[in-house]
Amino acid sequence: MKLLSFLISFAKYSLSFIFVLGLWEVYARYGGLNELFLPRPSKIGDKLYNLFFKFQIIEQGTIYWHFFATLAQMSIGFCYGIVIGNSLAVLAAFNETFRRYIAPYAVVFNVTPGIAVLPLIIAWFGFGWESKIALATLVCFFPPFINTLTGLLKKNDEAIELFQTIGATQSQYFWKQQLPNALPEIFAGLKLAITTALLGTIVAQFGSATEGVGILMQRFAFRLDMAGSFASLVTMAIMGLLVFTIAELLDRRIVFWRDTKGLERVSKKKQRKLSTDG
Amino acid sequence: MSYSTTDQTKHISIFRTLPVHLLIFACLIILWEMTNLYGFEDQIQADMIAPRPTNIVLAMLDIFIIDQTVWKHLISTFKKALLGASIGTAIGMGLAISATLSVTFRKYIKPWIILMEATPRIAVGPIFVALLGFGLWAAVALAALVAFFGPFVNTFQGLMEIDEEAEEMFRSLGASKFQTFWKLRFASAMELISAGWKLATASAFGGALVAEFIQASEGMGVLISQYVIMITMDYAFAALLSVTLFGFILFKIMDYVDYRLIFWKNDLLLLRESEKRRKKAGIVQ
Amino acid sequence: MAATAKKKPKQSPSGQTVIEGNSVTKVFGETVTALEGADFNIRSGEFISLVGPSGCGKSTLLRLVAGLIEKTSGDLTVNDEEVTKPRTDIGMMFQKAVLLDWRTAIENVLLPSEIQHRITQDDKQKAMASLDLVGLKGFEFHFPKQLSGGMQQRVALARLIQTGANIMLMDEPFGALDEFTRERLNVELMRIVGELKATTLFVTHNIQEAIYLADRVLVMTPRPGRIAKIIDVNFERPRDISIQTSREFNIIVEEVRDTLGSH
Repeated sequence: MKLLSFLISFAKYSLSFIFVLGLWEVYARYGGLNELFLPRPSKIGDKLYNLFFKFQIIEQGTIYWHFFATLAQMSIGFCYGIVIGNSLAVLAAFNETFRRYIAPYAVVFNVTPGIAVLPLIIAWFGFGWESKIALATLVCFFPPFINTLTGLLKKNDEAIELFQTIGATQSQYFWKQQLPNALPEIFAGLKLAITTALLGTIVAQFGSATEGVGILMQRFAFRLDMAGSFASLVTMAIMGLLVFTIAELLDRRIVFWRDTKGLERVSKKKQRKLSTDG
Repeated sequence: MSYSTTDQTKHISIFRTLPVHLLIFACLIILWEMTNLYGFEDQIQADMIAPRPTNIVLAMLDIFIIDQTVWKHLISTFKKALLGASIGTAIGMGLAISATLSVTFRKYIKPWIILMEATPRIAVGPIFVALLGFGLWAAVALAALVAFFGPFVNTFQGLMEIDEEAEEMFRSLGASKFQTFWKLRFASAMELISAGWKLATASAFGGALVAEFIQASEGMGVLISQYVIMITMDYAFAALLSVTLFGFILFKIMDYVDYRLIFWKNDLLLLRESEKRRKKAGIVQ
Repeated sequence: MAATAKKKPKQSPSGQTVIEGNSVTKVFGETVTALEGADFNIRSGEFISLVGPSGCGKSTLLRLVAGLIEKTSGDLTVNDEEVTKPRTDIGMMFQKAVLLDWRTAIENVLLPSEIQHRITQDDKQKAMASLDLVGLKGFEFHFPKQLSGGMQQRVALARLIQTGANIMLMDEPFGALDEFTRERLNVELMRIVGELKATTLFVTHNIQEAIYLADRVLVMTPRPGRIAKIIDVNFERPRDISIQTSREFNIIVEEVRDTLGSH
């Protein structure tokens, strides 16, 4: 039943996609569109086929190489970013003085477009992977910092009183109440971070690079090869969807109490575990 | 025993904290200056990695007052960002309003929105630059494309958060759909909508700068790149600092507008507004 | 206390039937019967309390009369007209005050007039008078956030008065208030309804409140929602709060309890 309704909605969505693409194709074919601006879908499809299945080499590698180079740069930047962001957040949550004195810098940092540092980053870190990772880290550490901090500082006076009356230690309070209570915010921060890390990586690749989907896009666009540009855009969309879906799945798994479906799933699992234990 | 994150209520006056803040800031600057002077073996490398704060200040003086190069670029970037933010906001809010009013539209727009959300939209930059040239419009288009999402999501969320009792109250008063929409739903969503405007401005700046990095005739992105290429890092820092400074001023203005617009969230403003409306009605207490 | 009233509890001139229901039934979805076969008729100027546990269909009944939801079967008329949509001679009040935060008290009260037409000076005068009637003189230009929960409900009541409706439907309007505020508002509501001579349907899960205010109490039971009994309350008006401790009052309380308990 559930599968059926999923399939139906999936079919509906695909139909709407196909409809729009079809309209675009027909319109382009019968002269309505300047193909220099908007290539027709079949040409983009052709280009994608060349890139993905005929292993066409652009710059120094196939599209797979560019794809994974970008994913790897993004992941490393993301890891640095969340480690930095979360450490700062925990520090700020537990140390009021620290929190007070970094507050003005956080406010200024919040409004600076991190991307503006790109030329400097390239000057410092060169044209290799380091500059991509650095920019990804720089643009992605802030959301986890702010979100984790807000999550940890959520007002919870009655929970604190409860834990005090049952004689819990500070660390017990942190692990059993404060941290789980902050998880929805923390995950929201991670989701933001992963998309901004991807963005940072791609923008850094525009700056200058030898590999990555960003440079692919750059090269195609400057050669006015619009079909190629759109093919790289599709590749990026696939990458974005992949990253996004993974983040979403992790979020649903771990912060299961956000919706009733998750609650039912975990409660059933725990029940089964209890009955096998007993 | 008390857990340490709870003492937020402790109020510390700004007069006590401000000198400490300034002191810390001064120390950081001096440390930086010292690092530049003594921390490197070779002065070129030092100026490359951490240009001296005094030089940065001099560079700022130069580009703002003596040479005045920065103004042209600042105005150009601001123009692109604000135009892009406005266009993006208009599109985002328009889509959001349509999506809340029509279930069919909402259904069919959904997969496109998910796709748009997942795609790094800034990546379209090179296409826009190739198509629209190095002038104003490529940057505006990219800024609008990255900016539309914040207002869209916020407006949509705000309009979909329906207070059922309030809705019933409006229905029981015989209100038309139009009246309920403007007087209840839109007004209730105002807080989130205003937050969306701020998001739009922030991302539009990013979009405009990236378009300028890719290729443009003027703008702060161009200026920063040029200074870096000429290896005048103090000037690059000065240019970066100007972006931050003016961006900060713009955000403060938007914060203030938001604060005044959503006056009912603030006790002091409520008090003032209530007094003002009493006077306007000509009733003296 | 038989179901037939021996004497007219109110001195309303006409006393004719205003709201009439014949086997009114409401089924949500396909299986959830919220209200089954409700028969009732409410006369002009009467105060009717609907009392019962949650899920007994009292809010459903109220919303059916208000025209906010459609009945599944049966007949339901207001002033001899079939109820199909919200009508302007019916006003409502909810558990939440549902005030618009960005409007002052008087602007909230003016909302019904604003929905119907452009606001005139008369409307403003009337709104001032309504606020005065509910005891909020001097608070006309306060915003909801600046008022206590009880005062917010008073504004909601003033807004209801402003509609000019002579049928008032109230869905647990004092349910979220503390006991003391609720008691005070009960006394005031009694006075105001008496002055306006409005027909009132009052939903509550508080038995004392239901009896204290009402001319008749409709006792409702859940699964499926039904009117189990209609009990007359024949105390003189105006009623003092102290009648709640009287023997006669407590006999009625017992009767309501028995009806609810036997289901």
